[in-house]
Amino acid sequence: MTQEDLSIADPKMTAQNVNVFYGEKQAINDVTIDVGTDLVTAFIGPSGCGKSTFLRSLNRMNDTIASARVTGKITLEGEDIYDPSMDVVQLRARVGMVFQKPNPFPKSIYDNVGYGPRIHGLAPTKADLDVIVERALVRAGLWDEVKDRLNESGTALSGGQQQRLCIARAIAVDPEVILMDEPCSALDPIATAKIEELIHELRGKYAIVIVTHNMQQAARVSQRTAFFHLGTLVEYGKTTDIFTNPKQERTKDYITGRYG
Amino acid sequence: MQTRIARRYAAERRFRLIGLGAVLLSGAFLAFLLFVMVGNGARGFTYTNVAVPIDFASTPLTVDAARLNDPDADQLIANAGLADIVAFAAEEALGDDGDELISENAWKEVRSAIKDDPELMTGRHVFDLPASSEIDMAAKAGASGALGARIAELRRDGRLSTGIHWPFFRNADATDPAVAGIWGALKGSVLTIFIAFCIAFPTGVLAALYLEEYAPKNRWTDMIEVSINNLAAVPSIIFGLLALAVFINWFGICQASPLVGGLTLALMTMPVIVIASRNAIKAVPPSIRDAALGVGASPVQVVFHHVLPLALPGILTGTIIGMARALGETAPLLLVGMRAFIGDVPGGICSPSTVLPMQIFLWSDEVDRGFVEKTSAAIIVLLFVLLSMNALAIYLRNKFEKRW
Amino acid sequence: MSFNPAALLLLIVGLGLIGWLAGRARSAMVAGRAGTKLHSRPQYHGWYVALWLFAPAAIFLAVWSSVAPAMITNDVLASEAAQRLPAFGFERSAILSDARGVAQGDQPSVRIEGAGPLVEPYRAATQKYGMIGIAAMLALALAGGLFAFTRIRPDFRARSRVERIVMGLLLLASLVAILTTFGIVLSLLFESIRFFQLVSPAELLFGTYWNPQSGAAVEGTFGGIPLFWGTVLIGAIIAMIVAIPIGMMTAVYLTQYAAPAVRRWVKPILEILAGVPTVVYGYFAALTVAPALRNFAVMIGIPNASTESALAAGIVMGVMIIPFVSSMADDSINAVPQAMRDGSLALGATPNETIRQVLIPAALPGVMGGILLAVSRAIGETMIVVMAAGLSANLTANPFASVTTVTAQIVKLLTGDQEFDSAKTLAAFALGLVLFVVTLLLNIVALRIVKKYREAYE
Repeated sequence: MTQEDLSIADPKMTAQNVNVFYGEKQAINDVTIDVGTDLVTAFIGPSGCGKSTFLRSLNRMNDTIASARVTGKITLEGEDIYDPSMDVVQLRARVGMVFQKPNPFPKSIYDNVGYGPRIHGLAPTKADLDVIVERALVRAGLWDEVKDRLNESGTALSGGQQQRLCIARAIAVDPEVILMDEPCSALDPIATAKIEELIHELRGKYAIVIVTHNMQQAARVSQRTAFFHLGTLVEYGKTTDIFTNPKQERTKDYITGRYG
Repeated sequence: MQTRIARRYAAERRFRLIGLGAVLLSGAFLAFLLFVMVGNGARGFTYTNVAVPIDFASTPLTVDAARLNDPDADQLIANAGLADIVAFAAEEALGDDGDELISENAWKEVRSAIKDDPELMTGRHVFDLPASSEIDMAAKAGASGALGARIAELRRDGRLSTGIHWPFFRNADATDPAVAGIWGALKGSVLTIFIAFCIAFPTGVLAALYLEEYAPKNRWTDMIEVSINNLAAVPSIIFGLLALAVFINWFGICQASPLVGGLTLALMTMPVIVIASRNAIKAVPPSIRDAALGVGASPVQVVFHHVLPLALPGILTGTIIGMARALGETAPLLLVGMRAFIGDVPGGICSPSTVLPMQIFLWSDEVDRGFVEKTSAAIIVLLFVLLSMNALAIYLRNKFEKRW
Repeated sequence: MSFNPAALLLLIVGLGLIGWLAGRARSAMVAGRAGTKLHSRPQYHGWYVALWLFAPAAIFLAVWSSVAPAMITNDVLASEAAQRLPAFGFERSAILSDARGVAQGDQPSVRIEGAGPLVEPYRAATQKYGMIGIAAMLALALAGGLFAFTRIRPDFRARSRVERIVMGLLLLASLVAILTTFGIVLSLLFESIRFFQLVSPAELLFGTYWNPQSGAAVEGTFGGIPLFWGTVLIGAIIAMIVAIPIGMMTAVYLTQYAAPAVRRWVKPILEILAGVPTVVYGYFAALTVAPALRNFAVMIGIPNASTESALAAGIVMGVMIIPFVSSMADDSINAVPQAMRDGSLALGATPNETIRQVLIPAALPGVMGGILLAVSRAIGETMIVVMAAGLSANLTANPFASVTTVTAQIVKLLTGDQEFDSAKTLAAFALGLVLFVVTLLLNIVALRIVKKYREAYE
């Protein structure tokens, strides 16, 4: 287990003293955290603790909510992502996102995956796009299941396949970070296992941040775990440490199932 | 207790019957209306012709055959006295009243036949000429007295025949039902609706996209919303007043033209399209927007790549219904001058023109009895077009309706 | 080369296309040379150049083609030949338009004597301003295009710029709604104020004699009460007596009793009824219903029965409104929570008792709102009353007599050969203002009721 030994000397993303407000209500309170380049980071915590909110502030998806306001500093490779000169569209191409419920476009499987590369101009020719789509689907472990029906609608797939299609869609634009917002909460156990397997395989290629309230899942897939509670970051460290030897009382209570 | 229950059940049955009665009554109104229109209108599509032999050998038409394709050929033939030749031939063949049996415009049919085939100008040929309105009515509906006897006599001689009334589909308005047609009005309608669509559809859809996807919540957008909702309920004639004051008196846009009519109808239909489009856009689930934003699409790309295509069937359905309403609209167009008698098929969007519903209105005022069936026939054409449009809208709605 | 706006528009669209291709190609080249990635994809650079080429030129074109005719006329009037023009308004403009027609090639030769000498000045002025306009437009297009072209750099945010323009376009589209509303209010107000300078508002609103004459406004002939009464009698009384019971009962039957199959068939039939154009209803009323009613009235011995009766127009208008009432009632009844209905049925109430005592009272606000909307629609309806209700302004409660309405009078006042500023045409705008205000109030009240009602059950 060499990866766990990596310290986060060279973080992909950093957040310093981040607060998120929805109107008057404060959803995130002074969170400071680094996300490692080759690691899977899990955000855990009881529902409503702000972990999804925080996740959405990492690629500025909160911009779509008119009343949301973010203070503090979040950087990607040292660049402040809330700086006015930061182009939000390019940011999201670099920090991809997979949502709670699979949300394929009602287009063909091919077009679902090809959409991102097309709008970002990553594929000058159709042949290039074919390559990108195939590579993304292979990486998402979906290629063998769909290679003969790339022109069928993405919505015709099963739930688990849809979610892997969404992951393929995110991979296709070659992001640096992939944010996953409870990607398995709408899936059955077998589909969940496949997604987790996929996360294992993607590790090292992308920085992955996954929000989950399934603690076993966090323990299985991540190397770093952050525990959120009531909008604050309670504890952050190596996953093994958090689960075997939490430093904070609240973390211990949550992990042992005292509340949540 | 038993009797009370029986009474309550009787009341229940009565109530239910009243409800059924109301439904049947609505259906009966529609059936009666259609029945009356079809009953009157079916005969409007046919016309009675009288066979008249014309001998150009004895009464020559002195026109140079080489000039029949000239632009002023119509004038040329008219000046050569074709009308008199035809009238003379009719009296020769049918007796002293022959001239009155055929339509006063019958010679124009001969003229167009000659233009098609100059050979007809030589020798003797039998032409099926449109009967006068009076004879046509009597022949189709039956008549008594002297007129009835005359019709019977003509029938016996094999002079009368009934055929599809081509001038009805080919001509513009005229004062004589024998040659009056709906083509001018139909073309006017098409041009007007085309203009209205070209303006109302893009504007309406773009406005709906703005309000639904981008508009901040503030006083201005509230005002836009209130405006649109109220405009959708403003009586159509008010739009006519607006058009008269602004388009005609202020901007001086050509009066009575498809352009000004189309602009008027565009303003009237736009709110309808906006409301339908907003509903369609609202029905597109937010997860699609998230997904597109998540791979780095800009807000404009999200809307134009995803939301708009998904909402399009709903938008089109609303647009077709709005356009169908505009196509049947008369009142605002009365005020922008489209009420005038237009004897020519409109040439362009700025030439004087009328529209199909207006033609119906104008014909309904005509004194000549022959126009009653023409009016109903025009109504059948209009209803056919409108019902086809509505059917298309319903088909689109059912085909593309999605449950998310 | 003449100044033909349509052709010129095509020309700048073509230029825009060239700009698009050039911008796209250059952005790709620039990026290739610098060896960096473009911020925006080449096509956005293309759009940026195309828009800068097209928009200023198009705006100039629109402005120029609306002001150029006036400038041409000014030039012509300053010419020597124009000094001999009659000073008199009508003749003067006829001669001018005749000369213009020849100069611009719309007609082969002058029709009016005296127009001949003006043709040449017209032709010269047209030529001159045409050339100026075309030159200025091309200069603008090139300047805009060059400006945009020189800004292309790898880090230039062409997409953001283009998208900002798109957003502006969307905003502009939604402003059309406000402009229309303002246009209606201002044009109605403006003409009405001119009318009220001739006739006092009190007379229009409270006078009881309506008989406008051509020419100068005659005191006492613009009393609107007979029209308002006729409108109310036809639209709010007779039509509603027909439409409310039938529409309501149709909705009740369809929502509560009818099998789904019946519902599936009846609803489209009602939609057809709603889709029949009003001119067809008008013709139906005038051709079939009115004579039948008159015969009936004569049979039962009612004096002064007219073929243009309020009853005929009202009944047919009621039929037209049925689908509207029924669909509003349908929505309101469906919005009542199922629990209320179940509660009543569980107590042993029959369906009709449930409907009458629970559902309809619960749905009443929504139904009332719907009825107000229906009334607003009925009083604004024009063709049926124009064709079937007649034009004589009688103040009578006899439904077999002829009455007239606001909308019918607007049409009557504005058709025929009228000077636009005569008291008669201005009166039409004043009537329009009254109609607009009344329907607006009805709509606002109705929408508020319906909204409150919906909120109550959400």
